[in-house]
Amino acid sequence: MLAAHLPPLTASLFSLLAITSLLLAFVMLGSRWLVEYLIAFAAQSWLIAILSAAVGYYAGYPELYLIAILTALFRGLVLPYLILRIIRRLNVDRELHERLAPTSSLVAGALLVLFAFVVSTHLGKSLGLAGTVAVLALTVMLSMKLIGFLMLAVRGEALSQVLALLVLENGIFLGSQILVPGMPLLIELVILFDLLVVVACFGILVRYLVSHAGTSSVHELRRLRG
Amino acid sequence: MTRDIWLQIAQVITVVVLAPLLQGVILQWEERIQRGQGPGIFQPYRDLWKLFHKQLVVPESATFVYWIAPVGAFTCMLTVPILIPVLTNFPLPLSDMGDILGGGLILTLGSFLIVVAGLDSGSAYGGVGSSRAVMLGILAEPTLILVLVGITLLAKAMLPFVVNHLLVAQPPVYWSPAHLFLVAAFFILILVETDRLPIHSSTHIEVYMIEEARILEYSGPLLALLRWASMMKQVIIYAIFVNVLLLPWGLSRQGFAAGALGAAIALFGKFLVVALAVVFVETAQSRLRYYRYQEPLGASFLLAILAIVANQLS
Repeated sequence: MLAAHLPPLTASLFSLLAITSLLLAFVMLGSRWLVEYLIAFAAQSWLIAILSAAVGYYAGYPELYLIAILTALFRGLVLPYLILRIIRRLNVDRELHERLAPTSSLVAGALLVLFAFVVSTHLGKSLGLAGTVAVLALTVMLSMKLIGFLMLAVRGEALSQVLALLVLENGIFLGSQILVPGMPLLIELVILFDLLVVVACFGILVRYLVSHAGTSSVHELRRLRG
Repeated sequence: MTRDIWLQIAQVITVVVLAPLLQGVILQWEERIQRGQGPGIFQPYRDLWKLFHKQLVVPESATFVYWIAPVGAFTCMLTVPILIPVLTNFPLPLSDMGDILGGGLILTLGSFLIVVAGLDSGSAYGGVGSSRAVMLGILAEPTLILVLVGITLLAKAMLPFVVNHLLVAQPPVYWSPAHLFLVAAFFILILVETDRLPIHSSTHIEVYMIEEARILEYSGPLLALLRWASMMKQVIIYAIFVNVLLLPWGLSRQGFAAGALGAAIALFGKFLVVALAVVFVETAQSRLRYYRYQEPLGASFLLAILAIVANQLS
């Protein structure tokens, strides 16, 4: 496994990238403005792109460079652009339907990170990986997933829900880059196009929501009815 | 041995003497950034001199707490410099009295005395100021403890000298995310402890004041002692920040007089760097509504947790 045998400075670089993307997930959790979410998401995607390029360089997988470029292009530019267009059209610029205030959700997110920390430390110990980047990547992956779920649970704006899903997916992608580098190229491509489909579907759904329910809050979707 | 005792005395004197100067520099820079002229950097010395020559007016409702609080707070601030690396990067006599937690305990004892003094005379403002200070303290305390835990995990020791040596000796540790996040979390703590949070309260003599409200009943020499103690607290926290976490270089290694003098000058230079950042945050960041004071503290709590998580890498 690559992550278990890294020189210290490289390990520092990897962990810095991973932790900074976790920090950006918290920026999303702690802010009320949709545009800020979007910028944080784009920056996170760029960091993950850098990370996969770094993994490609240190582990010797040339196809990861292609994946890095595609990640930066799709997640860092195309998806934010599409969502920005939806935000402009909807005329919503901030989260109004939150169930938990940003500061409280920050603290809740911090507790979730601690939970992920405990889980992955145990996992790392039982796998004999304690003290390596792998454990850190596992923590970051789990906590980004939990933060994504938290955002899905406490945020009411439809666009926040899309972004929460994307954060969740970013977390999985980041973890997989470090833990199992060298997945087949095709899977990565499929995931990228999957995301495009998700965003397109949500765009349609949000417009439907606005035209029929007159609001962009998903709390109005109470009944499973067409 | 004798030289070490002199060095220890020099550490305390450095803190006592530099405290008003640092305050003067910060106050002047704040005005300059807002395009004002600002007072001279030696103004706090003149203020203290003036206050020491003024008459003492004591409220009728004051008890003995009113008298011992300023002296006690000042004594606490005289004690902490013994425990931390101010001039030398090796332990001096009596610096093994307490570790980082011990230093934090004595600092908090000083603030506690001032809180009690604010409540003592029964004035409305004193009570409001004390309750606000305690509220912020409650929120800042978990972060402080987490930062200390993070430092302990980083260096496997609670002594500031060990942390300093580790950071100087191993650049990978210095640049590790754990350390960088600890620096960020501690920076927010500095803003809280020196009453410079970007909330609508750090302006003086105003409805939302925190620090000023507690000492509103004091006058003359006792007020001077309190002011001086709070300036010293600022210097002590800055010294812990720069010498233990941010810039662990430039301390006296051998303990000669010239080295100690150079270390004192370097220390002031490092203070200026931190002061620049603090002034920038205080003036450039828009003031939050008073009741959003918990947001920066939530952020610093989060940074401390991230630091601990990043510590998994060993």
